[in-house]
Amino acid sequence: MASNSLKLFYYDAKGRAELIRLVLAAGGREYENVILTQDDWQTEKYKTPFGQLPVMEIGGKKYAQSIALANYCAAECGLYGKTNLDRLNIDQVVCLGSDLVSLATQAFHEKDETRKAEKMKNFAEVEAPRFFNMYEKLLKESSTGYFCGDSLTLADLFIYDQVFTESKWKTFKTEGFPLLNALRKLVESNEKIKAYLATRKPTEF
Amino acid sequence: MANSKITLNYFDIKGRAEIIRLVLTWAGKDFVDNRISREDWPALKPKSPFGQLPYVEIDGKVYGQSLAISNFFAREFNLYGKSNLDGLIIDQVAQLTEDFIQEIVKVIRAADPETKAANQKKVQEEAAPKFWGFYEKLLKESSGQYFVGDEVTLADLIAFDVVTGFVSDFTLPLPDSYPLLTALVETIGNNDNIKAYKAKQQ
Repeated sequence: MASNSLKLFYYDAKGRAELIRLVLAAGGREYENVILTQDDWQTEKYKTPFGQLPVMEIGGKKYAQSIALANYCAAECGLYGKTNLDRLNIDQVVCLGSDLVSLATQAFHEKDETRKAEKMKNFAEVEAPRFFNMYEKLLKESSTGYFCGDSLTLADLFIYDQVFTESKWKTFKTEGFPLLNALRKLVESNEKIKAYLATRKPTEF
Repeated sequence: MANSKITLNYFDIKGRAEIIRLVLTWAGKDFVDNRISREDWPALKPKSPFGQLPYVEIDGKVYGQSLAISNFFAREFNLYGKSNLDGLIIDQVAQLTEDFIQEIVKVIRAADPETKAANQKKVQEEAAPKFWGFYEKLLKESSGQYFVGDEVTLADLIAFDVVTGFVSDFTLPLPDSYPLLTALVETIGNNDNIKAYKAKQQ
């Protein structure tokens, strides 16, 4: 069965598109990686489904929402587990991780300067470690090194991207989380991911 | 799954668990709808996977995160479409809803009454029309009356929950200017299982 042609639209950044890129890389799936400048965005904005990026054009139709797109790509690439229970386990990890992203977003967008500083501090010192401990617990329960089963899935790539993809604003401390660090090694030693990371252009975010 | 024992644990409110209740109710699957008082929660907390509600117990194993749980039951009971592209359509609706809920969270977690009032106004005047508009647009683009053509999926139940559940506590009533969304909510609400369930909640 012929697979749909894929086009990914995003800014010149890793950001919310990087998970999708990692999934497609791990799946060995070709796609057009379209980079939009801020000027492009002024006109392209109106051609997106919900006024945001990333957007993917799949078989000529546009779709959005980074997690929805990552799920689709994972399913297409065989990185979404084999059973519905696998998917439940993977979705749990992604939803949990998304909660941490929401906390970061709420802190980052706080308008009151004093409250923002408090929230950012609380995020870095309390919330992030609390979530990393939950990730460690899930990895321990899985016992294979991967979050779900004995091979790479979307869950591993999501957490890897969240914790270890470099970004100017990220100040996570990852010492003291041995299973998370082992996951990093596992993901980065995947042949296709290694090849992708070797040629990835450095960006601020 | 047909013979599995399911217990849903949550507070005695719609909140984040209602979508799970709706999926199981639509599917006609029996489950224990365990509604917990605030006083009883601390004792139960260690049993939850992530220290939060809702969580479900399925054949003795516990799982958390309302969207992950809804997705699972939807997949088990043929409410997730037939293809990965159907799944993408459903997930778009689910993820848009998560964004909408984050605007509600800004009201709930506001540090003072002024911020709360300002955020509440933003939900009513900006977020609600924006997200209702997205649902309406997606329904218009669909080949049928539901988000995924002619078959009811999790996406339709999510939209129903947005308009009738906890999110609607923070918005004005849905105006006439969203006819497809209005029709969808009515259709879902007229389902026998949903009607019986709603009657029981009175």
